[in-house]
Amino acid sequence: MRLRQLWRTTTFRLTVLYGLVFALGTMALLGMIYLQSVVYLTHRVDGILATEADALQRSPPQMLGQRIDEALALGGDKTNVFALFASNGGWIAGNLRALPPALRVGGRPVEIPPTESFPANTRLIARRLPTGEELVVGRDVNQLREMREIIGSALIWSGVLIILVGLACGTALSIGPLQRLRVLQEAGRDIAGGNLKRRMPTSNRSDELDMFAATVNYMMGEVERLMSEVKGSTDTIAHDLRTPLTRARAQLHRIQQADVIEPGEIARVTAEIDEVLERFRALLRISELEARERHAGFSRADLTGIIDEVVDLYQPLAEAGGVTLSAAPRRWMTVEADPKLLFEAVSNLVDNAIKFTGPGGAVEVRLGEDPARPEIIVQDNGPGIPATERMAVMQRFYRGERNRLASGSGLGLSIVAAIMRLHGFELVFHDAQPGLRAVIQCHPAELD
Amino acid sequence: MSLKAKMARILVIEDDVATSDEIASCLAASGFQPEQSFDGRKGLAMALAEPFDAITLDRLLPGRDGLEVVRLLREAGLETPVLMVSALGDVDDRVTGLRAGGDDYLIKPFAPTELVARLEVLLRRHRRAGKAELMLQVGDLELDLVKHEALRDGRRIELLPMEFQLLEFMMRNPGQTLSRRMIFETVWEYYFDPGTNLIDVHVGRLRKKIDVPGEPSLIKTERGVGYIFNAP
Repeated sequence: MRLRQLWRTTTFRLTVLYGLVFALGTMALLGMIYLQSVVYLTHRVDGILATEADALQRSPPQMLGQRIDEALALGGDKTNVFALFASNGGWIAGNLRALPPALRVGGRPVEIPPTESFPANTRLIARRLPTGEELVVGRDVNQLREMREIIGSALIWSGVLIILVGLACGTALSIGPLQRLRVLQEAGRDIAGGNLKRRMPTSNRSDELDMFAATVNYMMGEVERLMSEVKGSTDTIAHDLRTPLTRARAQLHRIQQADVIEPGEIARVTAEIDEVLERFRALLRISELEARERHAGFSRADLTGIIDEVVDLYQPLAEAGGVTLSAAPRRWMTVEADPKLLFEAVSNLVDNAIKFTGPGGAVEVRLGEDPARPEIIVQDNGPGIPATERMAVMQRFYRGERNRLASGSGLGLSIVAAIMRLHGFELVFHDAQPGLRAVIQCHPAELD
Repeated sequence: MSLKAKMARILVIEDDVATSDEIASCLAASGFQPEQSFDGRKGLAMALAEPFDAITLDRLLPGRDGLEVVRLLREAGLETPVLMVSALGDVDDRVTGLRAGGDDYLIKPFAPTELVARLEVLLRRHRRAGKAELMLQVGDLELDLVKHEALRDGRRIELLPMEFQLLEFMMRNPGQTLSRRMIFETVWEYYFDPGTNLIDVHVGRLRKKIDVPGEPSLIKTERGVGYIFNAP
């Protein structure tokens, strides 16, 4: 199992591959040297044999036996072969007693294994003399053979050694990463098991494993943040839904106990349930917005048109609440957006502003000054949001006191936030001294 | 409300038995004649075989998808009004549903009264279809659709464009419960939750303009549901 794991690591495979390539290269090099030197040495031996045979051939035939004996005495009969045979193959002179069957007169030099008369590997050539006798000249080529063997075995052993060293290096190099990988795997299993606080361990090498671990850690940070947000929101939602449901249950219980159903009692229960449904709808709406494909339904939205329409829609509500609602001097500005969703977002902000400003207050909707950075501003002169809460209200599912007091689903700002995320817009709250200034920054983040 | 309208046969295509029963009993209580089908294939067969006055159709169905059912119905030349009911509430889904041939789109969870109200509006609109109306009249209130004028007992009433559209919608559906959401969706054509008060103040304004002091209002508030426009 461990071996298979080892084999699967990239380091190991690469090292082994390099080892193989290196071994092949070395073997090819040695092979070349081997071939070249063998050819060269053989060639040289053959040249010497031819020269010696020529020299002997030039001596008078009756002197040949004597010359052979002299040559043997001079050159040593241990390394050279000189022999003379009669035309019938009978031995006349020299240190080779019988003609080797492989030897052909005038043919290519042959190599023969050691014999009784000459105990070494010998390379021989034969010449036919004008007398019809056969002259054989030869040379001990044991050295050549040994050298061939040495180079050959060097070739094999070096190959084997390089492969073995390659395997060893591969194993050694892979064990480190493999062990780190195991640690990462273990951390991964721990995280999958629910320990979202756990992070991938990193070394200070900044290598590819570290880079990967850092990415995973960043991802885990996001996941942990989201999970805690979801948990927080689940708690909020549970609380928000439990309250009307508990009231509805209590009312139903009372109705069940009572003999006479008071008029309006059923309607009150229905209203409670409707409130629950309303919140559900808002939650579904948020999740729809979150899941929605970006830029679907986008077009050039006319911001002035949106503002005018929102003000028209909310004017009666503002008047009923004693709030002055106005749209400030107009300028024509467009932005790439889903107009219906942008309308919904502005509506939510205006709705909130009217509710929290109260009688005598004023709410103004206007566009920002800079045409390159379109902004929709909803400003009221109500109590505003405390600085401490201003950041928090923008978080998903946050429900501050301001939000909680509102009727309806109470998730209006969360819906606005979802719409902002979908567009890549930003919702920012400022202190209007007094009051709140909510700004939808309709400029793409990349321009910032 | 005519008796004929109350005897309308409604085909309920909904795979969830409990929801289907709930819709059916609510329809029956409102004087409709409901018939139930629990999957798309059978529902389509029923709709093609027998005449129904309207169909409520779930979006996600076994057998055949709701969208496909409505598309096939329309391809077969059936003009029966279809109210699509779905847990998918995204604007895109709504558009897809309506484009496929649905007449209205209701998002789960919904109050049964809302479903009945929407069906009634659909039925009324369907019966009215093809008849070009130049004038709406309920009691002594007249709405001139050509001149964009409202008259109460001969007296001209000044209305803002949105107020005119709101009154037109109400006068087209007299005696009919209209939920705030229906009003918002039909008159303003937006599909989000406008908050309870918003529609109330608009209706309140309209009331002030069209009602005669001392007489009961033409627009009656249906507690927790919406409004009914009634002849005085």
